[in-house]
Amino acid sequence: MKFLRRLFTRLRNSATRQRNDERLREEMEQHLALETAENLRLGLTPAEARRQAILKFGPIQAIREDYHAEGRVLLIETVLQDLRFAFRMLARSPGFTAVAIVTLALGIGANAAIFSVVNAVLLRPLPYPQPAQLVVVPENRPQTALTGQGMSWPTFTELHDHSRSFSAVAGLAAHALTLTGRGEPSEVSTVSVTQDFFSLFGTSPLMGRVLLPEDGNRGAAPAVVLGENLWRSQFGADPSIIGKSITLDMRAFTVVGVMPAEFRTPFFAQTEQIWIPLVQDPLFSGWITHPQRPHWLPVLARLRPGISFAQARAEMETISAALARQSPDENGWRLGVEPLQQDIVGDMKAPLLILLGAVGFVLLIACANMANLLLTRATARQKEIAVRIALGANARRIARQLLTESLLLGVLGGVAGMLLAWWGVSSLSTLLPAELRQLHSIRLDAPVLLFALVLSLGASVVFGLAPVFFAAGSDPQNHLRESARSGEARGSQRARSVLAVIEVALAMVLLAGAGLLLRSFSRLTSVHPGFNPDNVVKAEVSLPQFQYPKPQQWTAFARDLMVRVQAQPGLQNAAIAAPLPIADNFVDLPFTVVGSPPSAPGTTNTAHYVAASPRYFAVMAIPLLRGRLFSVDDTPSTPPVALISQALAQRYFPHQDPLGKQLIFGFPPYGNTSREIVGVVSDIRDASLSTDPGPIMYVPFDQAPFWGGEVVVRSSLSPAVVTAAIRVQTHQIDKDLPVTDIESLPEAVHASVAAPRFRTLLLGLFSAIALVLSAIGIYGVIAFSVARRTREIGTRMALGASPSSILRLVIGESAKLVVLGLAVGIPAALLLTRYLSTLLFAVSPTDPLTFAAVAILLALVALAAAYLPARRAMRVDPMVALRCE
Amino acid sequence: MATEKPKSDVQQGTLALMVLRTLDVLGPLHGYGLARRIEQISGNLLALNQGTLYPLLLKLEQEGSIVSEWGASENNRRARFYRLTRTGHKQLQEETRGWNQTAAIIGRFFDAKAEDFS
Repeated sequence: MKFLRRLFTRLRNSATRQRNDERLREEMEQHLALETAENLRLGLTPAEARRQAILKFGPIQAIREDYHAEGRVLLIETVLQDLRFAFRMLARSPGFTAVAIVTLALGIGANAAIFSVVNAVLLRPLPYPQPAQLVVVPENRPQTALTGQGMSWPTFTELHDHSRSFSAVAGLAAHALTLTGRGEPSEVSTVSVTQDFFSLFGTSPLMGRVLLPEDGNRGAAPAVVLGENLWRSQFGADPSIIGKSITLDMRAFTVVGVMPAEFRTPFFAQTEQIWIPLVQDPLFSGWITHPQRPHWLPVLARLRPGISFAQARAEMETISAALARQSPDENGWRLGVEPLQQDIVGDMKAPLLILLGAVGFVLLIACANMANLLLTRATARQKEIAVRIALGANARRIARQLLTESLLLGVLGGVAGMLLAWWGVSSLSTLLPAELRQLHSIRLDAPVLLFALVLSLGASVVFGLAPVFFAAGSDPQNHLRESARSGEARGSQRARSVLAVIEVALAMVLLAGAGLLLRSFSRLTSVHPGFNPDNVVKAEVSLPQFQYPKPQQWTAFARDLMVRVQAQPGLQNAAIAAPLPIADNFVDLPFTVVGSPPSAPGTTNTAHYVAASPRYFAVMAIPLLRGRLFSVDDTPSTPPVALISQALAQRYFPHQDPLGKQLIFGFPPYGNTSREIVGVVSDIRDASLSTDPGPIMYVPFDQAPFWGGEVVVRSSLSPAVVTAAIRVQTHQIDKDLPVTDIESLPEAVHASVAAPRFRTLLLGLFSAIALVLSAIGIYGVIAFSVARRTREIGTRMALGASPSSILRLVIGESAKLVVLGLAVGIPAALLLTRYLSTLLFAVSPTDPLTFAAVAILLALVALAAAYLPARRAMRVDPMVALRCE
Repeated sequence: MATEKPKSDVQQGTLALMVLRTLDVLGPLHGYGLARRIEQISGNLLALNQGTLYPLLLKLEQEGSIVSEWGASENNRRARFYRLTRTGHKQLQEETRGWNQTAAIIGRFFDAKAEDFS
């Protein structure tokens, strides 16, 4: 009701405004006349009588305007007025506006970009129905610190058939199958899944149906589900694909369905993929019946509603204990239960949170800078504000105007920041380690936009309050009487210095972090991996299992291919091997030393396993230390031999000659082969550049072949020529064999450090921004202080001070800020860099050299920023300076 | 001026009440007279820009609490005299009750001792 009455009043007012204004003016004038008359009666002079009357009456114009403001129909008008004025003020000083917007855009853009990654990876739930119920069930072996391993088939069957904690349990394994019959043979990444895989996720297919439990029965017709992307790229989005037959590894599969592109398989997320029943898989189906119970199958499960993690873990303990009683092979293995999200995010969480913290610091520096800029501006505008207060503007109105200005800056900076983030996100996604990029789509969605909006508004209120605080407390009379230059409030100069000190301190923390990562990264990339990747090209050739089912065929193929490739000019240095160091995942297998006492159950020795043809060690430049290398005479019909790495020799044959000793090990189906050690080669880093070399055992490829392998060639020819030759030679043997994963070895090594490179680059970028922003901050404080002290400097020079002493004066002032900033920043950095320690390679988180270097860099940049205004101070002409006021 | 006690600002909404009450007690007054009376009654403790009175009078008249008519001032000048209407009278009574209530409540808090809350 009250609102309606007010609105009605306002509507009527706007109609009668003219008349009311006339009446107000008339009555006010009459009041002043009466008051003046009264004052005259008290004996004042006419002029003084009138002046006193006006003083008592208050600001006439402002009161009338207030009345009109009240009379307006819409309050928005005053907001618009404030905005218009703010725009005009910003347009009048384009330099200030540009610096402010760029500063904010950097702060907000960096935050929004990193937040979009954090949101996608850590916050947004996995793209499956009820994702919180999804868990990983790994097998761990506490005694040997093996964690997150796959499951043996009998364990999986037990879990699948008898567990009460899970509503569905599914195993999945992935590799590439060869798709033929559609032009050039190609490899498609294939996920082989057990019966409950699709019901576990509950995602509906785009077309057709998913794989059903019946498809997983032995003897069922081979069925395949295509991913949407593959369906589009390989089958031209054929709408009648359902029911058609495709050829995988020379075997016909019927297409039963197409899954939407958003459906990605955990662990094996590829943009293009297909799914087949595990029993139809040419390789993995053979492992189901393997007598040795290898632990190979990654298993996912969905918790039954109402079952907690603790309950599920307890049940797993019971099952593990029961299995260990049944079979000694399972002894020592324990089933675990981990949330799927946590398992996928894994070791990305810490670096992401560190980056988020770092961009938070960048934003703080940006805010400090903005507050500094606005304070400087407010000080320069004090005279203007004083005039407005004297003309009757009340403090609240002025505060509102100043806040409108900073909010406008905040919004403009926020918009620019979002543009920057939009650009940043697209480049971030390409830098992001592949496994994250594939499962999570990183984009600027509603939560990210909201985050950026809150940041820019929050930031602009925070830095906008600083000048409001100082403006509101000032007495207009002082500012009108004194010149704005000499009458600056001490408090605001101190506030600006404090802000500059904070900026330096924050920049120091960021620089220390970036310096440490950079040093760690340079150590990482300069580490010698034990082999020489330069001029080595690799290409993978794989043999379809249905066509090449026998190991004898694999050996024959490898020999034939090597003879053909090595006969090409410039390609003599060629070999075939699997797996390759760094480029491929390592294979870890148990072994026993013949003649040594049997080890206790559950304490098996393991070493990495490599099958390699004779020239492999020459191609990779891995030196032989003792004994001999493999030769073409090591064939399936000659005694089995092995080479071991130096680490294996030192760990298991200390003070002994390993040559002539026997090891029992092997990759299925050569599980328990006894091999004579014929040589020792030097260590290599095969898992990653940052992992110390461990024990490795090598076997001749001919004696223990794989179904294909990695062809490696060391050649001075260009990689394109080399790969073309490998392709031609392969196709001369069999025109339907795919040659894939072509890469130069240096590229593979480069790719293996993508994650550390990513975070080093980002943190480096952020600290560079921090450095520039804090330099701007220092520059602002010193430049303003010099401008304010022009007269003082002029006086000093007139009294005989030399330009160099003036320089020292100004530089000294900024040196004080820098020293204070470092005094706060270095201890803060020492406290905070320990959170980096897990990301550092061969560098201590308090590395004194790094700290000293970045502190010196920061000091130099800050002093350079102060040098510009200092030079201006040196050039002050005393005559001009003294006359200027 | 310099020796005066610090004056308190006029709280929002209270000036209207002062105007209504003054008109209620003293009968019709013109703007200048009203300003002087308010100053007197408040004992010069109020920092009031007298000018702000006029927009308020206009507003009160538009809301129907007061009416104005032309009359002659003490020194026989033409002046606009303001008089309380019945609506204004009712509004004054309501607001007086409201204020007394608020004052009583606040008073209780000032009188409150720790043991009252135990």
